[in-house]
Amino acid sequence: MDVINGLAFKNMLLAAARHLEQQKDKVNALNVFPVPDGDTGTNMSLTLNAAIKELEQAENAEVRRLASLLTRGSLMGARGNSGVILSQFFRGFSDGLAHVEESITGEDLANALAVASQTTYRAVMKPVEGTMLTVARVAAEYAAQASAEGAGAVEVLQAALEGARAALADTPNILPVLKQAGVVDAGGQGLVCIFEGFFTGLTASPEELEELLAKAAQPTPAAAAPKVEQEVSVNRYCTEFIILGSGIDAVAVRRELEPKGDSLLVVADDDVVKVHIHTDHPGQVLEFCGQFGELTEIAIDNMRLQNQEFASHEETHHLDYSVGNNVINFPNSAVYAEPKPLGVVAVVPGEGLAEIFKSLGVDYVVAGGQTMNPSTEDLVKAVESVNAEAVIILPNNKNVIFSAQQARELTEKPVAVVPTRSVPQGIAALMYYVAEDSLEENLAAMEEGMREVKTGEVTYAVRSTVAGDLQIEERDIIGLAEGKIAVVGPTPTVVARDLLRKMVDEESSVISIYYGADLDETAAQELNELVRAEFPDCEVEIYRGGQPLYYYIVSVE
Amino acid sequence: MVARIHVVTDSGSDLPVELRERLGIHVVPLTVQFGDEIFKDGVDITAAEFYARLQQETRMPSTCQPSPADFVEVYERIAQPGDTILSIHLSSKMSGTYQSAVLAGSMIDPQIKVEAVDSKSASLGIGVTALIAAQGVQAGKGVAEILQDVQSVIDSLQVYFVVDTLEYLQRNGRIGLASAFVGTLLSIKPVLTLVDGQVAPFEKIRGKAKALKRLRELGAEFRERHPDKRLRAAVSHADNHGEAAALAAMLPDILDLDTEVVVGEIGPTIGVHAGPGTVAVFLYSV
Repeated sequence: MDVINGLAFKNMLLAAARHLEQQKDKVNALNVFPVPDGDTGTNMSLTLNAAIKELEQAENAEVRRLASLLTRGSLMGARGNSGVILSQFFRGFSDGLAHVEESITGEDLANALAVASQTTYRAVMKPVEGTMLTVARVAAEYAAQASAEGAGAVEVLQAALEGARAALADTPNILPVLKQAGVVDAGGQGLVCIFEGFFTGLTASPEELEELLAKAAQPTPAAAAPKVEQEVSVNRYCTEFIILGSGIDAVAVRRELEPKGDSLLVVADDDVVKVHIHTDHPGQVLEFCGQFGELTEIAIDNMRLQNQEFASHEETHHLDYSVGNNVINFPNSAVYAEPKPLGVVAVVPGEGLAEIFKSLGVDYVVAGGQTMNPSTEDLVKAVESVNAEAVIILPNNKNVIFSAQQARELTEKPVAVVPTRSVPQGIAALMYYVAEDSLEENLAAMEEGMREVKTGEVTYAVRSTVAGDLQIEERDIIGLAEGKIAVVGPTPTVVARDLLRKMVDEESSVISIYYGADLDETAAQELNELVRAEFPDCEVEIYRGGQPLYYYIVSVE
Repeated sequence: MVARIHVVTDSGSDLPVELRERLGIHVVPLTVQFGDEIFKDGVDITAAEFYARLQQETRMPSTCQPSPADFVEVYERIAQPGDTILSIHLSSKMSGTYQSAVLAGSMIDPQIKVEAVDSKSASLGIGVTALIAAQGVQAGKGVAEILQDVQSVIDSLQVYFVVDTLEYLQRNGRIGLASAFVGTLLSIKPVLTLVDGQVAPFEKIRGKAKALKRLRELGAEFRERHPDKRLRAAVSHADNHGEAAALAAMLPDILDLDTEVVVGEIGPTIGVHAGPGTVAVFLYSV
């Protein structure tokens, strides 16, 4: 086959997506770091699946049309750093094909791969060789060579595959960490899988192809698809009203109303208390609050009957309430205010941490983190849901920063990404968030603020490895300081304490500990007492974070 | 008889007794109330007694401004016809004390002139303003000149304070714009300030040690903003002598001062609202 027509191009992409999906665990296993967040394969596969989703439905198999669907789908679906780089690869690849009239020639393909490679290099600030970038570049070089020798499209692709494989095999020679861990680069492996899929898609017999494509995409484990967290109310009536009266005890109002529903908000000013609650018994709520004063501006909506309207109500108003279910004393009741100039979206693992972030002024929490990297699209949706003119994103994970930056490019709103690499950095940045200041002022202050903390994490090793002079066995508990393995030990408590010994110095004054979903309060209290005794000069605070896989996230400042 | 100038302030000024006696500054007490029990600040209850009591109480105490009659009583006792009284008080945005003083001024012998001054501040912010006025009197300055000095202190005064908890400010309705700091699930030591006579948020800080360090940095920043001025400083504290003394000891270097830092204990009047543990720094130029 000398040229690739639209239909063959489509098969090529679909085959790549199926093949990568089948191979994703193999890619995941290549994670250099023995921590349970090796999801390079998952991220790349989810990104590619998102990219081909629309393309799969497309009736019109015109190359240019398919290419543009590919670009949009992959940019929005990009998850994790590897997903973002892959999406940039496809973006370049599609750009390179933009002039193709009908069929892709060998030369077209070589050009497109060259553009794809260049785009990936441009997408990262500091390109590192021995990664997916190198694999893409060498594949393009081999393809160019073949094309220069007059090869047809399939031969060019074959050359690209050879180049990709050669580059992948060489990655441990370029990056010592890979050699030490005895693996090749995971992202590079993912890209090789994609080239393999391309090649199969073009060369397989119609029967083989049918079989490959018929293997229904394994339903992605639900956990891998982060949900944008929204309060789902089980109660039927959204009830809002104002109580007029002097000296109303807002704390008492709140205490009494709490058992009657959820999404409770009691906002008190001198002589005015505004109440918002989702309840099945609005009559009881009104009856009760009538004791305190005159009721006015009563509005009761049945949220189940008005599901559509309710959805928009939630989006436009509800997010403003996410200061949490606290009684807050706001002289001018800004909670009910019109659209705000500035809002914050944060990516947070665990519901305890989500509550903490909301209480610090975050408008919208996207659930996700170590194991579940939200897609660019999840972040774009979150940004657009916040009723603010400009939005700050806190990625709180090094593998989400890139998607957040990509989300910034894909939304109309002015967006700033504070490149927080951990939950503690996110919290430290929020200390400097001032809703009244401009996006730029906040960005500068928050970027500085995030540097004031040191981050520690306690998790378990997913495989045996050697890190520096530490011998680590699978399932050992490991402690990471600023992302680097610093401690290994038998239990989370001991490892957390030893980790803090390495992190705390004479400058330290506050230790905050966020315990994960796999621990109960008793275990956390044990650590709390241990740490207080060990570091008497520091204030020690312990909170339930509820994050998966990480027993403890600690911050020292 | 020569017309004299008298300086009056209220118990929210937190001036050390020794200092105000030396300068002849008169203090009109506000009252502090635990339930039905009413105490005159500094008369029926000392700061130490107040904080001890606060620890045992479940009820939140409250304060009450002096009545105009309380002021009239003091004014008429200290002044003769022809005298002038400079009556310097708590921010009118936080208390009705200034209003009472103004009213009292219109109720007494018209031959005694009362210049009521809204300090737009609290604690030693009022205290140092009264101090400047009393020093002016001692130096033999006239009323107009003293009022000018007073105004320049009020204009240049910067207040930063750290509270252990926002609970007291919030429960007593004095939280102002700092309500934005309420409701966080994390323990935060807020650095607050006074803007236009009201409490306003300045920064959220994690941990008391860092918050106190921030107060020192803010001192250095104040010096940078006023490179050519003679600066003065005061520190007040609510049952927290150690941290206040440590801060006060460092300020002369930080601010390049040529006078001592006034250190005062926050009495019941302000203590009710700020809560125990509070440390406040007052910076101004003369």
